[in-house]
Amino acid sequence: MNINKRKIKDVLLITIEESEANLSKSEQFKELMLQEINLGERQLIVSFAHVDYVDSSFLGALVATLKSLLPLNGKLVLIEMNADIENLFQLTRLDKIFTVKNTLETALTEF
Amino acid sequence: MNRKILLVDDDIVQLKLFERLLTSNGYSCKLALSVDEAEAFLMTEVPDLIISDYQMPIKNGFDFRKRLLESDQFKNIPFLFLTAINDENYIQQGLDLKAIDYISKGTPSAHILSKIDNLMQSVREHYERSLSEIKGIAEKLHLRNTPKRAPLLKNFSIHYFNQSYQNQPGGDFIDFIQINERHTFIILGDVMGKKWGAWFFSFSFLSYIRSAIRLCVYDGNFSLSEILSKLNLVIHSDEILGDIFSTLSIVLIDDIDLKVHYAGAGDLPLLKYEHGKNALRSYQSDGILLGFSEESNFNEMEIELNDNEELYLISDGMIDFEVNGVKKSDLNMLKEKLYKLKKSGKTTLDIKNNLFNKHTSQVDDCSIIILNRVKR
Repeated sequence: MNINKRKIKDVLLITIEESEANLSKSEQFKELMLQEINLGERQLIVSFAHVDYVDSSFLGALVATLKSLLPLNGKLVLIEMNADIENLFQLTRLDKIFTVKNTLETALTEF
Repeated sequence: MNRKILLVDDDIVQLKLFERLLTSNGYSCKLALSVDEAEAFLMTEVPDLIISDYQMPIKNGFDFRKRLLESDQFKNIPFLFLTAINDENYIQQGLDLKAIDYISKGTPSAHILSKIDNLMQSVREHYERSLSEIKGIAEKLHLRNTPKRAPLLKNFSIHYFNQSYQNQPGGDFIDFIQINERHTFIILGDVMGKKWGAWFFSFSFLSYIRSAIRLCVYDGNFSLSEILSKLNLVIHSDEILGDIFSTLSIVLIDDIDLKVHYAGAGDLPLLKYEHGKNALRSYQSDGILLGFSEESNFNEMEIELNDNEELYLISDGMIDFEVNGVKKSDLNMLKEKLYKLKKSGKTTLDIKNNLFNKHTSQVDDCSIIILNRVKR
């Protein structure tokens, strides 16, 4: 799967460079995120700026990442979701689990 | 659905000729001018077939094949070698690397096409046979994540429909637990994932759900909030389900007092058609995904269901649509569709046929349970 990584001080920004975040990418995404956590990353932002659609496999990968991060006192912020994805998060209460922000600037204030 | 073929050759003219031949015969092609380009593509998508040249600079076709064989993810993708050299040693070397066959660049187009068609057909048949065998075994072991029929109640009728994605078992699960003449539980869950992995874990969730309901009911406890809380606790402490998550909608029908109770975990809202209203009403539960957090609250609500009214429990596949080639999740689109169907007097079967129309692009498992009052 295509992603872009950028370090902003102690925060790792991961931008998903795919229009569909689905089953074919979810396992790889989860491994990649867990790898970053194992390497010591604790403050993560994931950008959905280029994503049109997220399926339940990918949502599962995101939830698994967050569940691994929380006992380590880490934080994961999701940003730049389109209206459909944001609505899906609200409908399924994923917005209660994740911190969701509109922009990178507001996300950075969370850390 | 178009079968996707990855073509790898450093000769762009050859690639374009192949592409034209295959796309005009119903295949979709991805072209790669080098092994590196091919491997970059494989990181984003898995094709149905790879056709690769032997001779390429830097990494040749043999190197490419060897690297694929080392990967669990890619080693089983059917692979054909393409060659301009009719050298027995080259051909044998390719076949020794578990390539299914080879195509000589001088072969007439009709022969190339027949070879690829036959190969794809054979792969498809092999897959169908394996799928059928596994389904047969699951059936014998009574491994079903949807029941054979809905229970018959005095004052309510239940219909349910489930359609798997691409004819493969998936993570949606449905169950009806009839405790006695009075109480019946309706279960709709969706393991976050698709295909076999989600299907496998759906049985773990179903077992826990059945046990939690039976144990609570055995103690005279019919509180959906408490059933969900206990269920959440055991799932949270299950190491195997540590990073597997499921949604759950649970409805309790009281067939004597004519009451319906609902609670949910990370599920989509329950929808209701109300007589005289101009849109479906949504009932949103507040529980989060099962197993995510040890401490979770699950509110329970009573829903009045009168004659001419209908309740819909849905899985997330029901709100996924493909519009102009772009996928999207849109609950309102489903609500409008359901409302119009119901308002125009369509029967439950008509509604099901419309929602699961073969011409409708489906992008995930889809499940819906329809509950209404029996007219007396």
